[in-house]
Amino acid sequence: MIVLRILLYFVISLVTLFLVILLGQRGAWYFAWVLGTVMIVLIAAAGGALLDAQEEAKHNGR
Amino acid sequence: MHDLQTVLVLSRWQFAATALYHFLFVPLTLGMTFLLAAMETVYVTTGRQIYKDMVRFWGKLFAINFALGVATGLTMEFQFGTNWSQYSRFVGDVFGAPLAIEGLMAFFLESTFVGLMFFGWDRMSRGKHLLITYMVALGSNLSALWILIANSFMQSPHGAKFDPATMRLELTSFTDLIFSHDAQAKFVHTSIAGYVTAAMFVAGISGWYMLRNRHMELAKRSFRMAVLFGVFASIGVISLGDALGFIDGNAQPAKLAAMEAMWKTKPPPVGFNVIAFPSQKQQRNLFDIQIPRLLTPLVTRTMDTVIPGADQVEKQAVVRMKDGIPAVLALKTLSADPTNPAALAQFRAHEQDMGYALLLERYAPDLTAVTPADYQRAARAVIPDVPVIFWSFRVMVLAGFVMLLYLGIATFCSMNNKVQERRWLLKIAPWLIPLPYIACEAGWLVAEMGRQPWTVYGVLPTWMSVSTQSVGYMVFSLAGFVLIYTAFIAVEAYLMLKFIRKGPDEGAAPAH
Repeated sequence: MIVLRILLYFVISLVTLFLVILLGQRGAWYFAWVLGTVMIVLIAAAGGALLDAQEEAKHNGR
Repeated sequence: MHDLQTVLVLSRWQFAATALYHFLFVPLTLGMTFLLAAMETVYVTTGRQIYKDMVRFWGKLFAINFALGVATGLTMEFQFGTNWSQYSRFVGDVFGAPLAIEGLMAFFLESTFVGLMFFGWDRMSRGKHLLITYMVALGSNLSALWILIANSFMQSPHGAKFDPATMRLELTSFTDLIFSHDAQAKFVHTSIAGYVTAAMFVAGISGWYMLRNRHMELAKRSFRMAVLFGVFASIGVISLGDALGFIDGNAQPAKLAAMEAMWKTKPPPVGFNVIAFPSQKQQRNLFDIQIPRLLTPLVTRTMDTVIPGADQVEKQAVVRMKDGIPAVLALKTLSADPTNPAALAQFRAHEQDMGYALLLERYAPDLTAVTPADYQRAARAVIPDVPVIFWSFRVMVLAGFVMLLYLGIATFCSMNNKVQERRWLLKIAPWLIPLPYIACEAGWLVAEMGRQPWTVYGVLPTWMSVSTQSVGYMVFSLAGFVLIYTAFIAVEAYLMLKFIRKGPDEGAAPAH
């Protein structure tokens, strides 16, 4: 299982490197869209999870 | 009015109407898919049922919008054939590939995954369902990518060359086509504008629930996620808008002159017209308020680059018309004798200005006997409708900054858990939902009306692109589209309001 996971991460990093080389050269805005979208989605998701933590802290009187 | 002129005007109205109706549905699809993916990511990582309820509720509203978006988009592709057949023949070799890929992305990739997303909740694991939701988001945005690549070719043609043997533009480099600066900036600007639309939509409805103390758990989380999603997207939209303005300003000086109501070329640095009342007839501003020295650094990134005003653009157009006449005359010889070496050489020497001579042909059908008055009329036509473009641009920019301000304040209050105490913030949220739609429509008016009088900028004039339909057909089909699309919008509004009033079925779905 761990080997599969390492392989998966290896493939993801290869794809990322490929995208950086391919898009970085000629498609800087496309690459910015990929990075920006991932960032925006993760920040929004983190905001939701943070609200849960804040509500829990409020509930526990902390 | 001559029949051809009436058909041209009606064809433009029909395409503009269908495109503007269609784009009332598109931005929400582009943004909501990624917002749903963000919500589902939290569901999968935390296992909290509330996030699944959120995805299912907002997903329902997304589904209504998606269905109507697809329905309104279909007719636009057919219009290229029915109303713009000369355009399709001229650029089909270039335009066809991205349009076909867009169709495949929208109907095969996106629609298949949308089906799996809605009906696959109980048929696959949480992780797999999340992957499907991301594929829907990617599919909808990639389908937009291809149509925007096609549109960008019309704004700034790259990767194609006119072949006098076939009398049409042919693709020379697919990578030049998809990696043109205009295509890149336009795609990112449009896609992220969709994110802002989704953020304002979800924040507006969540704010409405919170004001009424309804579905609080869902509304609080949705509001928080939407404003965070939106504030970063707003910054992106404004940055990319600036980049797109810079790119378009270089590629289309006539559009830039119209956007800024700049009639005369002045020494740099020139001022930025905050407000102006431009008169197209008199070619001057009847009234304006300027911020001195601001425009030059805004659009050229320097303080000493000359920005051509409408007068300079017109002068340049006359030069290019004169240079393009031999190319068009050579084409007439080549149409009878495609291998004529003298005509071919004459065409090659002047081909870069062929489009300008084709534009002139509308005002001077005999290019061997063009009068100064013909040149003047054709040169005037090179400047698009300044009042509409000037004000549409300002409406878009103002709407963008208002949304950034709101989302910034809302994010700050939400992160401090003070949203419910700032009731004014919740009260205005639903009223701001139309703002991103207004901004998107205004942006498209700037892009498309600003490109006139060209369908492919500098290459193919609009008057040569239209089909030879009858006026009756055009009036009937335009009226039909307006009626049907208005009915679609009424249906969407009715269904949306119905489901929003009903609210989510919290906890209805079994927890995984």
